Amino acid sequence: MDNNKLHNNNDFYLAKWLEGSITDEALKEFVSEEDFLIYKKIYQGLLVFEDLERPITSSFKDIQEKIQQRKRSKIKQQMVYWSISVAASFLIIFGLYSTFKGQTTIIETSFAEQINITLLDGSEMTINAKSEVSYNKKEWKSKREVYLQGEAFFKVKEGSTFTVTTNRGSVIVLGTMFNVISNNDYFEVVCYEGKVKVINNNSEYILTPTKAFRIINGNSIENWNSEKELPTWISGESSFKSVPLKYVISALERQYNLHFDSSKIDDSLIFTGSFSHKNLEIALASVFKTMHIHYKNKGNNVFVLSLN
Amino acid sequence: MIRDLNKICDQKVFESIFNTYAKDLKRFLYFKTQDMDLAEDILQDTFVKLWDNCDNVSYSKVKSYLFTVAKNLFLNIKKHEKVVRKHQKQFLKEINIESPEYIMLEQEFLVKIEKAIADLPGKQKKVFLLNRIEQKKYIEIAELLGISIKTVEKRMHLALKTMKEKIGRV
Repeated sequence: MDNNKLHNNNDFYLAKWLEGSITDEALKEFVSEEDFLIYKKIYQGLLVFEDLERPITSSFKDIQEKIQQRKRSKIKQQMVYWSISVAASFLIIFGLYSTFKGQTTIIETSFAEQINITLLDGSEMTINAKSEVSYNKKEWKSKREVYLQGEAFFKVKEGSTFTVTTNRGSVIVLGTMFNVISNNDYFEVVCYEGKVKVINNNSEYILTPTKAFRIINGNSIENWNSEKELPTWISGESSFKSVPLKYVISALERQYNLHFDSSKIDDSLIFTGSFSHKNLEIALASVFKTMHIHYKNKGNNVFVLSLN
Repeated sequence: MIRDLNKICDQKVFESIFNTYAKDLKRFLYFKTQDMDLAEDILQDTFVKLWDNCDNVSYSKVKSYLFTVAKNLFLNIKKHEKVVRKHQKQFLKEINIESPEYIMLEQEFLVKIEKAIADLPGKQKKVFLLNRIEQKKYIEIAELLGISIKTVEKRMHLALKTMKEKIGRV
């Protein structure tokens, strides 16, 4: 029972006790032992009540974080095996990684190599040079998901959601033809037929035929139109529209197994044009002559670039 | 862009599913586990699993999928901890009943608390929820509502007293 003769300070001892201004021992002086136990239990109950009633936005953030982490570690797991250096020869490894969940099929192309793969549902992938693609055969029926590093052209049969995941973004389609490039800090998707959804950094872009999306260095996002019906590299020529020279040089390196020393030039210059896969001389000329860049063969597949 | 509500593999749909079921699921898990942190962990893992399998779960079956997965995750953990729990229960029986920290919270009791709070007179309830759910200090509540701190304390005090009377015996 409350004692009316108590000082003002002690009138609302329960409130003070709840916020922690007075201790359990102090509270025991105001209430009976039995009541104290009840208040203690109520306090425990309040802690649970609050936790269950509180808004759960932080839980959702944690969930999203967990999902992202799983994606990253999945890709990392598969990448680790490929840091082993191999001779420049044709390599396909199937079902080697049964230690992973299910069986992951990994396909890697070497320099100047293109591979055409038909998937279990009839969808086709054409993989360009120095690229890597992996997917899970077992789960293919229910989940069509492909991991890509490099460049590949996809012809997807209608069916369940088909997803291409790269380090820089994802592409989701229902049945269409599109090209994806994901190399270092260059990510580009061109839609040739159907409809494609590109997810990059929590933003979504819908591409219809001829529409392309490109993001370089995580910064500049470009949307542009492609005029061709198919990517040109499939027929032996790589073309570029307003692409920093740096990436054109990388493509040359992958196609011809070369290394370019570009320290003496500005490789951020914009290049529009193409190079042939069939003839190195012509390829080099078509890229560098138009940019007034001089190239010198130092042997061992190394070229040094300089200004004229 | 038309959003297909049947596709769980959609950020916004997934989020709305979370907003619809997460609280209930967490409550369900808390009473199974008696451990708020564990309940939160299983809750999160359940939703991650839903996302992983989003292609295979139909929107109409989402609720039962969530609860089934959560239950199974819990059962797996329980299986491993069977031995530990046996010892724990033994330990609890020996604990002095005067230490309420060790009393497990039954669902009945929580319902009693919730009802008692819901039945509080308006002014007391407002102050009480601001303090407990929104974690506002008495001084903040006083400023917010334009009343004195003494008044806030009075309302909190009376609220607790009422709750004790309603809830009665342990």
